[in-house]
Amino acid sequence: MSLCLRCKGLFGHGAVGMERFRVDGFDEFVAARWSALLHVARLLTGGDRQRAEDLVQEALVKLWFVWPRVAEQAPEAYVRQVLVRMAARSARRRWWGERPVGELPDRAGPGDVSSAVAERSRLEAALALLPPRQRAAVVLRYCEDLPEGQVAQALGCPVGTARSHASRGVARLRQILSDTVRPVG
Amino acid sequence: MDDFERELTRMMRDTRQPAPFRSEHQERLYEGIRVRRRVRLLWRAGGSALAVAGLSVGLALLPGAGSRSLPADRRPLPATSPTPPPVSPEPTTSAPDADPSVSWPPTDTPGTTDAGTTSPGYGGTPTSLPPTSTPDTTRRATTAPPPTAPPSTSPARGPSASAGEESAGSG
Repeated sequence: MSLCLRCKGLFGHGAVGMERFRVDGFDEFVAARWSALLHVARLLTGGDRQRAEDLVQEALVKLWFVWPRVAEQAPEAYVRQVLVRMAARSARRRWWGERPVGELPDRAGPGDVSSAVAERSRLEAALALLPPRQRAAVVLRYCEDLPEGQVAQALGCPVGTARSHASRGVARLRQILSDTVRPVG
Repeated sequence: MDDFERELTRMMRDTRQPAPFRSEHQERLYEGIRVRRRVRLLWRAGGSALAVAGLSVGLALLPGAGSRSLPADRRPLPATSPTPPPVSPEPTTSAPDADPSVSWPPTDTPGTTDAGTTSPGYGGTPTSLPPTSTPDTTRRATTAPPPTAPPSTSPARGPSASAGEESAGSG
């Protein structure tokens, strides 16, 4: 059923093509997990929202092509693994640092300066200072609450290496956040 | 898990912002799917065309390479080969009067052949006889050889010449 729908969408355009691209359960999964995936991607990118959206979309596009195989198993684990690898890959690209835009992005107004926003900004700034693999290990271990085996699987490394990445990442975050808090305190 | 790790976990989970999956996200997602699908189809088509072109070139070059390498691969026969080279047909199959080296059977008539070859007990071959310039004198000399003369010396001496000398000296 899903394969036939995908074949119909070969030359689809616009809304009609979008209807033809629909597969069973894919839209429901995306709608249910979009916010969580975007949050993980934002932490993985060190707070870059635009880049996080790009990463989530690319991961979901990849998921669509393997959806018949992974739909009954663990689609979120697949997306998480793709996100981690793409975030590590995109972090090596220097052109992610600055992007020319036609209009200046919205800056935080006086009303946005709240404790939650400040805390999020502080966390994202600290995560951005970590190496990509340490950042991914910390996010998956403490945000997604994954066991070390699944963290290692997502990183594509042995369990000991994943544990080492998480431990070093936490130690680095402890140092960064304490340095950040100290002048304030 | 110490206090910092618990605080880190709380910070990571509390900073999550609600982000609904809106229609523009959906359109963008399916546009990405469509573009990626086309790219994959193009890659597959290109790969197939490349494979077909490679096979065609390979098949086109294969017969040409075989015909070119055929004379070079064939080794020349040695000058003295253990097996005899292909020879002309058997002497018995050829015409009798076409080959002068053929030994004729003794049943032939004396009038059609030389007398030396038909003399009893001689057994010589026509090749052992020297060519004579005057067949008539040769015929006479060979038809009446001296009984005591050895047959091996008669071709070397030339019976017709000796007869001519004797006739010239006597006359």
